[in-house]
Amino acid sequence: MSAPSWRVGVDIGGTFTDVVGIDASTGVSRTAKVRTRLEDPLASLRAAFAALDLGWDDVGVLVHGTTVVTNAIVEEKLPPVALVATAGFADVLSIGRQNRRSLYSLSLAPRLPPLAPERLRFELRERMGPDGRVKTSIDSADLDRVVEAISKSGVSSVAVSLLHSYANPGHEALAGERLAAVVPHVSLSHRVNPEEREFERTSATVLNAAAMPLVGAHLDELAHEVPPTAHFHLFHSAGGMATPAMVRERPLLLALSGPAAGVSAARQVASDLQLDNALTLDMGGTTTDVCLIRNGKPETRREASLADRPIRQPMVAVHSIGAGGGSIAYIEAGMLKVGPQSAGASPGPACYGSGGTAATVTDANLLLGYLDASHALADGVRMDRGRAQAAIGDLARELDLRLMDAALGIVRVANANMVRAIRNVTVDRGIDGRRCTLVAFGGAGPLHAATLARDFGIGRVVVPAFSSAYSALGCAMAQLSYTQQRTVRMASRDWSPERLARARAELLAGMAFDRAAQADGVEVADVALVRYVGQSYSVEVPYRHPAQVEALTRDFRELHRQLYGFFTEEDWELEAIRVTASAVAPPIGAHPPPMARSARPSARSTAECWFSAAGPTPTPRYHREQMAAGARITGPAIVEDEWSTITLPPGARLEATVHGHLSMTFGSAP
Amino acid sequence: MTRAIDPVTLEVIRSALTAAAEEMSLVVMRSARSPLLREAGDLSSALTDAGGEMIAQGRDIPMHLGVMCFTVKEFLKRVPAASLAPGDVWFLNLPEIGGNHLPDVKAIRPIFAGGHLFAFAVSLAHWADIGGAVPGSYYASATDIWQEGLRISPTRLFSADGPDREKLTLVLSNVRGAPEREGDIHAQMASTLAAERRLHDLAEEHGIETLRAAMAVLQDTSESQMRAAIRALPQGVFQGEDFLDDDGITDRPIAIRVRIDIGDGEASFDFSASDDAAEGPVNTTPFIAVASVLYTMKCLAPSEIQPNGGALRPIKVSTRPGSILQPPPTRPVVGGNHETSQRVVDAIFRALEPALGDRLTAGGPTTSGLLLFGMPRADGAWVTLYETHGGGEGARVDRDGSPVVRVHMSNVMNTPAEVIEAEYPIEIGRQALRRGSGGAGAHRGGDGLVREYRMLTDGVSLTSMFERRVVPPYGFRGGSPGAPFRVTLVKDGAGTGIEVKGKTNLRLGKGDRVTVESCGGGGFGMPGNSSEGTIEK
Repeated sequence: MSAPSWRVGVDIGGTFTDVVGIDASTGVSRTAKVRTRLEDPLASLRAAFAALDLGWDDVGVLVHGTTVVTNAIVEEKLPPVALVATAGFADVLSIGRQNRRSLYSLSLAPRLPPLAPERLRFELRERMGPDGRVKTSIDSADLDRVVEAISKSGVSSVAVSLLHSYANPGHEALAGERLAAVVPHVSLSHRVNPEEREFERTSATVLNAAAMPLVGAHLDELAHEVPPTAHFHLFHSAGGMATPAMVRERPLLLALSGPAAGVSAARQVASDLQLDNALTLDMGGTTTDVCLIRNGKPETRREASLADRPIRQPMVAVHSIGAGGGSIAYIEAGMLKVGPQSAGASPGPACYGSGGTAATVTDANLLLGYLDASHALADGVRMDRGRAQAAIGDLARELDLRLMDAALGIVRVANANMVRAIRNVTVDRGIDGRRCTLVAFGGAGPLHAATLARDFGIGRVVVPAFSSAYSALGCAMAQLSYTQQRTVRMASRDWSPERLARARAELLAGMAFDRAAQADGVEVADVALVRYVGQSYSVEVPYRHPAQVEALTRDFRELHRQLYGFFTEEDWELEAIRVTASAVAPPIGAHPPPMARSARPSARSTAECWFSAAGPTPTPRYHREQMAAGARITGPAIVEDEWSTITLPPGARLEATVHGHLSMTFGSAP
Repeated sequence: MTRAIDPVTLEVIRSALTAAAEEMSLVVMRSARSPLLREAGDLSSALTDAGGEMIAQGRDIPMHLGVMCFTVKEFLKRVPAASLAPGDVWFLNLPEIGGNHLPDVKAIRPIFAGGHLFAFAVSLAHWADIGGAVPGSYYASATDIWQEGLRISPTRLFSADGPDREKLTLVLSNVRGAPEREGDIHAQMASTLAAERRLHDLAEEHGIETLRAAMAVLQDTSESQMRAAIRALPQGVFQGEDFLDDDGITDRPIAIRVRIDIGDGEASFDFSASDDAAEGPVNTTPFIAVASVLYTMKCLAPSEIQPNGGALRPIKVSTRPGSILQPPPTRPVVGGNHETSQRVVDAIFRALEPALGDRLTAGGPTTSGLLLFGMPRADGAWVTLYETHGGGEGARVDRDGSPVVRVHMSNVMNTPAEVIEAEYPIEIGRQALRRGSGGAGAHRGGDGLVREYRMLTDGVSLTSMFERRVVPPYGFRGGSPGAPFRVTLVKDGAGTGIEVKGKTNLRLGKGDRVTVESCGGGGFGMPGNSSEGTIEK
């Protein structure tokens, strides 16, 4: 019997669970969407499988993206954990960085209460120097005392974060060994985030410890459900899949699992269409996620904050803003504003008729004719144009605008918010966003992409194949891959290749590749974080191991010039290294189901769409199934499928590529 | 007034202007050298109209908001608009020209479209050194401003032809760490260049007339928001005072006094009764007084007021020439920026306590708690650690104060112990909550911080610039004051410590220990009246 050939990606989101299956032997793919049952993730998984018409026997690899950690953090459902810190430093989380989260709100408490309360903070007499030299060794009686106290506390998770453990993890490892005998879940800071700055490292470690019981239970259930023939993995925030064992130890890896999977899938488009720089636009009901893909690779960020909890670990650099289909339009000080408040899935946009009365972006899109009111939504809900009109009409009167001007205005302001997000991720990296291709997916991304691109001056938009289940596609196509960063301080004039090689080898040793992956080989990409002495931010300089100081000097100066417009001949310093290790595996191609070929598809119906205040334009509607490779249409047009709608404004051109992507271009160039 | 611009275009332009100012800050953050920018983000960016009225601000630092409203206006009084040209970047730091203290250097670029001046971009960054008596340019014993560093009157360092090497060299010859300062100058220059590009894009997209109209409407909008915010306050006259510990030269407390008159949609803040200008470096400028007033009003306003010059129109701030808030230009000012500005907020809060106490907080760590360690590193380089210390927040009507936090006019972060130990010859003995330092009350004030610094080298210079050592953070509505700030020096081998004063310069040797105990916050209400809502630390 041959091995089961299907790779299945499942993304369990807040409202829907998306699934994409790829038959690795043929490239044939299937996709489906089912409602998420938040109380029972496993039921969502089973339903998704059933919708694909696949059984466990068919599945060779299952990759699962999940919001289980994200939701637990956002909804503050994490248990208290014990913290073991260096003597004199147990209050690190109460002190934080001494800053407050809101400048002008006196009512808001400046910080959230730490997950390690005072009664669960324990101090260990030991001291490590910043260079990794032991200043005070652990005293075994003192360690006994701490282990016993924690054992007695009855806590189920403990975080160990000792000073300078990134430079020498010896003391943490020793404490961890002892604690593992008395506490089910132990999280060590040098494993979670081996970087300097005790508050950020401790925060990440404590958050990781708090998520361990929850994720452990989830993985146990999955292990019970999934037969051993289906290799099971999880999609992590740095854009790759991780083994269950890895996720058990480091559940914080899942914090931004969903958005990272969508971005990861976009790498495929970038490679199919040979795009150097691309911007992903993932617009859902409440938020829009934007990420820069540079030279075919998603950018990485070092820290993020989730519900005011800092998370520091390498992650795909997704920038999230409160702008989605459900974003509410309102008037403030005579200006039209959109979001970040959202009507969400409940009560939803006014046109859903499920209790919402506020005007939302979706109501504007319906009124402008882009969305088809005769098309039933996933739950059988039909959108009601009258309700949208009433909601936007109220706004229009107050603003002294005509109804359609108000609807167009809502879309324009929502787009302006997204433009700001795009500027943010590009300017921050020294890239001109207008030279990038916009890759739009998610429920509402394709609806806004063309007008957004025009407002910002982007020349090309791609709506990729599987765009409405894109995170699931990212999961299905994922490879085993880990990214980790470690503080290594070294001055350019004091370069030690041996020390660097040792630090790098230790980082790699902490990454879990199964035997099969190791047999095929593991590919490592190296980045040095380099800055001039005194600078605030480092420049990310890719290098080939072993690092040569001359090459690094040259590349750092050139990148500095590209980013900031100048460089100097000064010495520089290494701040940290980052390694991304990926299993070498044959690329996985995903082909959408074959379609009828027709270079000039014929419209199924015509709608009256408003693209400008001048009036409506008769606009043909097509189904995405009609867009086989080579098909071309010119706007105005609407292309829709079961899950999403693509707006093509007048004059814009659309062409279907051989991979099933839809490419839109603007302006005069063909 | 007829509406010159529709509400959608207005919002689109507003968003773009704010984005442009934010981009300016990003550019400085990423490439400048000052450690203050690295951990603290002590910088600001703004765009103004052709008359110097602020229209957008990037990184919102309360202290800089008020100051930047005046920088370009005051600049234009000295440098006529007719003498400006495209490509110019002017640098200045004089406190009397819309400034605060010498280390905060501003770069101003006039922006032209169609041959006409229509906007300015301003980048403010705190330089790690501006010359003067001591490294780091915080001279606690200064008795005139020349001891505090280089005074840069408006100087055109860049023109369309490029940098003016002569002037650049003159500036760099008078500050420590010339290569790093040159990096700062380039970073600030680049940030104003980014703003110019964005504004040109906007002018092209919307037309210069629409852009001008939008700038005017945005200011009118902030004005009406501010008027509405004032109307929501009780009308009347309120008076309050609070005291600085001392000025570093004499031990006499110095009063900041305010008389607030809240009328129908307008308010005046009169600080004339404040004490005379100090001999030592706690003087500050009227611009800082305005910044403190604006901060308080933004806290009290029900919704966010777009930061621009329009917000100031309904507010009158008066100071008395010769007083601590409007000193003769010869007086030292370096500490006034972050110490006296906070005391102005305290005076306002205390004045408003009877009427609005339920919406404010009791006294908190209204001091930077600044210690500046200058020392030689093993490799011979001279390094300066500029460290602020937060304390316990004042309690509120509905909650305890937070432990260890910065309040009001500043939100500067600390430097992590691991960074200090890696980059300076200093060991951090411990950093912990200063338990019991928060004032008692129905809600307790937050606890301060204990942090112990041990010198690993000889020849360290220590400058202190902190407050609340003598006059502790006040309680509200019967709550007790927080424990005062205390800094203790234990010389190597000595058993007992000596107290370090709030504005002083000392020499430290290897093995010496400096222990900071930052102030606790004031309590709110009589103790025992309520125990609900305490927060876990």
